[in-house]
Amino acid sequence: MREFKHFNAYSIDKAVSLLGHYGDRACIIAGGTDLLGKMKDTILPTYPEAVINIKTIPDLNYITQSDGMLKIGALTTLAEIADSEVVRSRCLALAEAASRAASPQIRNIGTIAGNICQDIRCWYYRNQNNRFSCLRKGGGRCYAIKGDNRYHSIFGGSVSGGCMAVHPSDTAPALIALNGKIKTSSRIIDAESFFEVKPVKTTVLKTDEIVTEIQVPEPPIGTSSTFLKFALRQSIDFPIVNCAAMITVSEGKVAGARICLNAVHVVPYRAVQAEKVITGKSLNETVAEEAGQAAVAEAKPLEHNEYMVAVARTLVKRAILACAG
Amino acid sequence: MPLLRGRVRCRRGVERARFQDAQGARPTRPRGGIRLTINKSKYDLNVEPNWTLYYLIHDVLGLTGSKQFCDRGECGSCTMIVDGKPVLSCMMLAIECDGKTVETVEGIADEGHPLIEAYAKHHAMQCGYCTPGFVVTSKALLDRNPDPTGEEVVEALAGNICRCGTYPQHVIAVKEAAAKLQVEKAAGRGQK
Amino acid sequence: MSKQSEIETERMVEMFDNLRADKYPLKEFKCIGQKGPRRVDGLAKASGQADYTMDVQLPGMLHMRFLDSPYPHAKILKMDTSKAEKLPGVTYILRYDDPELPESENLGFFTVFQNDKPLDGIAHFEGQPMGAAVAADTEGIAEEALSLIEIEWEERPFNLDPIAASDPNAPLSFPERYMDGNHWNRGVLDEDIHGDVEKGFAEADRVIEFKITRAGHTWIAPERPCGVWKWNGDCAEIWLKNQRGYVAKRYIKTWFGGIPMDKIELHMPYQGATFGGWTHTDWNLGGLYCAAVVSRRTKRPVKYVFTRREDFYGSSMDEGIYFVKVGFKKDGKITAVDGTVYHVNAIHPAYSPLRHLHENTRIPHLKGQTKSIWVNKGPAVAIRCEMLMPVLVQTMVMNRVAAELGMDPIEVALKNDGGQGHDMDWLNEQKKERGFEVRDSLKECIEKGKAEFKWDKSWHEPGTRKLPNGRMHGVGFTWTHEWSDSAGTGEIAIRIERNDGTATVLGIRCDNGVDAENSYCQIVADELGMRLEDVHYNPRFDPGFHTNSPDSASSMSINGWAVRHAARILKQKILESATSPTAPTQRGSYQPAFRNTKPEDLDITDSVIFVKSDPSRQMSLADFVRRMGTQGPLANLEFQGVREAWTEPLFAYGYHVQLGDYNPNHPREKFCRQAHFMEVEVDTETGEIFITRIVNANDVGKVINRMSCEGQQYGGSVMGMSRGKLEEVIHDPATGIMLNGNLIDYKVATIKDVCPIGTILVETGMGYGPYGVVGIGEDIATLVPALLAPAVYNAIGVWIDEFPITPDRVLKALGKI
Repeated sequence: MREFKHFNAYSIDKAVSLLGHYGDRACIIAGGTDLLGKMKDTILPTYPEAVINIKTIPDLNYITQSDGMLKIGALTTLAEIADSEVVRSRCLALAEAASRAASPQIRNIGTIAGNICQDIRCWYYRNQNNRFSCLRKGGGRCYAIKGDNRYHSIFGGSVSGGCMAVHPSDTAPALIALNGKIKTSSRIIDAESFFEVKPVKTTVLKTDEIVTEIQVPEPPIGTSSTFLKFALRQSIDFPIVNCAAMITVSEGKVAGARICLNAVHVVPYRAVQAEKVITGKSLNETVAEEAGQAAVAEAKPLEHNEYMVAVARTLVKRAILACAG
Repeated sequence: MPLLRGRVRCRRGVERARFQDAQGARPTRPRGGIRLTINKSKYDLNVEPNWTLYYLIHDVLGLTGSKQFCDRGECGSCTMIVDGKPVLSCMMLAIECDGKTVETVEGIADEGHPLIEAYAKHHAMQCGYCTPGFVVTSKALLDRNPDPTGEEVVEALAGNICRCGTYPQHVIAVKEAAAKLQVEKAAGRGQK
Repeated sequence: MSKQSEIETERMVEMFDNLRADKYPLKEFKCIGQKGPRRVDGLAKASGQADYTMDVQLPGMLHMRFLDSPYPHAKILKMDTSKAEKLPGVTYILRYDDPELPESENLGFFTVFQNDKPLDGIAHFEGQPMGAAVAADTEGIAEEALSLIEIEWEERPFNLDPIAASDPNAPLSFPERYMDGNHWNRGVLDEDIHGDVEKGFAEADRVIEFKITRAGHTWIAPERPCGVWKWNGDCAEIWLKNQRGYVAKRYIKTWFGGIPMDKIELHMPYQGATFGGWTHTDWNLGGLYCAAVVSRRTKRPVKYVFTRREDFYGSSMDEGIYFVKVGFKKDGKITAVDGTVYHVNAIHPAYSPLRHLHENTRIPHLKGQTKSIWVNKGPAVAIRCEMLMPVLVQTMVMNRVAAELGMDPIEVALKNDGGQGHDMDWLNEQKKERGFEVRDSLKECIEKGKAEFKWDKSWHEPGTRKLPNGRMHGVGFTWTHEWSDSAGTGEIAIRIERNDGTATVLGIRCDNGVDAENSYCQIVADELGMRLEDVHYNPRFDPGFHTNSPDSASSMSINGWAVRHAARILKQKILESATSPTAPTQRGSYQPAFRNTKPEDLDITDSVIFVKSDPSRQMSLADFVRRMGTQGPLANLEFQGVREAWTEPLFAYGYHVQLGDYNPNHPREKFCRQAHFMEVEVDTETGEIFITRIVNANDVGKVINRMSCEGQQYGGSVMGMSRGKLEEVIHDPATGIMLNGNLIDYKVATIKDVCPIGTILVETGMGYGPYGVVGIGEDIATLVPALLAPAVYNAIGVWIDEFPITPDRVLKALGKI
């Protein structure tokens, strides 16, 4: 890696002020498993001048319950979340998502905030030495559109003409399905509204804003949640398609449903059509199948990723059936 | 024939005067160093910000047991145990490891851990390049779960790639080492 | 030389290019064939003590990295390194147009179709290391310096697809060497013509045609390609990651006007695998050459390294598009096969796609052609192994025929087993002629494999068995001969050590973890009559004997002979020496260690020499060879009754020469077979394939190192299923740039992806190696990838002929997309 200045931030305020000072020329580092890969491959046109360590900020690693919410500190690791009895019993989808992300070693240092804030994995974007100066980096075009787009968006691009890169997080769809919120150094945002596509960015975070806490509300009685992941390998891989669902059943019928796909679009994709199909109905194979179809009704696959539509449809169906028990 | 193994001196090890920025955030330790405990020995080191923990331990300190297969956090070969957890040393900055305890494969071998013999006995290696990473990850598993099932072993090793394809032998070796540890514990013999 | 040693030496010569069964096998085996006596490198590797070339650190050492071409086909017009040179920590930048760099140099194995320039100014594939080599204090600085080099490029048109590139109007991929088009053939090995295929098709009851597409895959060797060059005056001290130390030395010797052999010191540390990959590219030694030049100029040792991504630039010898036509009878006997492959970038002689059908079946009419096409990708090299292509075709041909007829593929296999177009009766005659016991290897492999796999319960009509979990169940079978990929020479020596009477085997070879050095020790132990723990072999230094390497490619047949010859000659020497007067001087000599005996009266067991008729008369080898040297008068001690005798040095060498299986005019009939079974479950909604069981039955002739053989079965199965299901090198079609040169986008199976693997070793003794040995290292990884196709066919009833078999292909075959 090239040289950079390194800072340990000892408080949120200090981190924020450093970010304010450096602007785009600095990156924060938590687990580092995404950032260091980007820096080693120098994938971006500019290299960070400063790296700000936020692991030195105290009291950001916790899992607690208060105000009817599960509160998880931004620096809580994926392993801690996966193993947490509280998380498993309250929001299984999140625990399962955390347990399926990456590898055991990465889960030991990767943080929940890092997982939802991570950068895209598009192999044009990630090619070393900024080999493809693409739309997402402020360049002219999206190379995936006419290129090898087997892992790219099936629901169109961020803008007309691209970018087609999907959001790669496993925990993000779980948080959305669980109706979670993201608390930052300056505000609280619904998880669903947290993601955005801008050059080199995947979230709405301002340059001098950091995530401090994840909040998941207490689910109503009769709620179960699940998380499913499709990838070519059973470990290490990013999702090609994943799906999280939280369904509340009351008197045998679906009273509430939140279903979120990810790795299928430039931001996590809330399958509202599928939710509409099952709401008010009893869950069975037919209804679940119909919901799956509805989830991908608006799909606009590219040349090489039509299979992802079939997979997404299937995962939605199976997630629904899994919640039905 | 012994390989010449000169210690590469950190020519640029003297920490340049670290700046205080306008907002007064404290940079890394004023003397620019970190303290590490590696395999039970204490080290006081000056490190560059862009050194990974792997680079520090393998290249600077010459503990060449850990290996680098991908250098991108995708293979597990560089695994070390940091504060009791198996992590990817190629994806950690050395400068962020102040005060941490690190175990490498050398330390595990030095304490006579039964994993070493079990691995050799069951041929849980071929080219051997990924083996230290597996041994370290397995040791971390046995530290937290002294009697793992075969499935638990597989889950724990899911982040370690072996290109030579020795996977089946690892489960056998780890379980045998676990059994040996149980026996040693029962006999009141621990590791050194 | 003693008469006995002469006999053994004569036998050694008799065994060259062994074309028949072992005439003089051992009658008993103690170490050979045993399970788990020891693993020589195991403790070193598990404890992190094993040193690899990447671990070498020398004082003042520079790190060298190379410029990689950003374009698939381009020429450097201008290069400005001034900014790079100014970067602190950069010591030297070697340019492609440096006057000391030759136009052409001996860089390795097959330079005929490869670049032979240590540092070229023209790139023929994206990512090709060329243009500049930067030496700096650290690898990171070298890398940063590379990004500061400013280059004006002339981009040229490029090809990626072999069929498009074979069009006469296609642009030239490599105009410097292939001016008349992108299609070249090297000659005899590229065509297999046997009989008359048109006649064969006319005789057939049915004829089918199909096309296979196999994407290239690559070796993925954990240790990056690297080497270190250090000049000690005018002596070159080299550490090298390379499978063939002796080949490297052969070429290094010719560099810089010729380096005398006594001025080359070669170390071959433990090797973090190669699988035949980088070693086969000239570029490996090109990097070493650059390191040597820069080392001389800077007066510092230089370690050159290639990155993980650079190690991706080369692929397998099955990459291509195959057109196959098969004629067969209703009873399953195949009458004719016509196969043409458009084969990508083979850097050394490729087979015809029908090579295996030619070698081990009774199919009377065959026409196989390999059209070797050069495209702008890295070289296709013999990664485990070059037989990938003909083995893929055999699997598909046999299974397609079985599928068409609704027959069990095992039945089709047995119906077509044979050799060179002849049936089993003919093959059995060949076995007899060559002195082998007549066994039906395929039948034996199948019987054992079927039983372990429970084939009869598992096999069913295609697409008919749905499991309770909703997935479709399928099983597949494939077979071919078991090969011993052994052509070449091997020389090896053995010395009985002073002080402790142990045996040291001497020979430099690549140690990449197949535990072969243990196998050679087992042979020595049994031949000499020593305990295994008294026989040692460190192959990582150069004593001047060069064994055939790497053993992973089944060099056992060559080196096994060589070490056996050496052991037998040495044993005779020991027994002669034990019964002869010792330490003759002008004033007489000392009594033999065993008085009044002849060599044939003695034997050795458990490292102890003894008289056969009276074993109480014995002396350990350690006592016999005594201490190292001596100084001072021997005679005085003799007067005092002390036998301070001195035994001559006990040392012998052996060697073996073998044309092996590559010479088409000199075929060695293949008698040993291998059979493999795979079970899968296919999720028809997502296209996912779950491989649930693999069973391997390999007839290795004779097992020497049982755990090593099983290790190859495990490892080969894992690599095989990974190649069949997951692995492909992907290029961007528009720019020719590699998209997945990393371990997250190029997928190597994890421990969670693998299934239980059955390992069956059959020993028919019908190999040409010592004791009937034939190789195993390459066989499984080469055969298992294609096995996925018939297994998936059995599951879903539709053929998928594109590899790797990824979920999108399954869904497409099912008509879901």
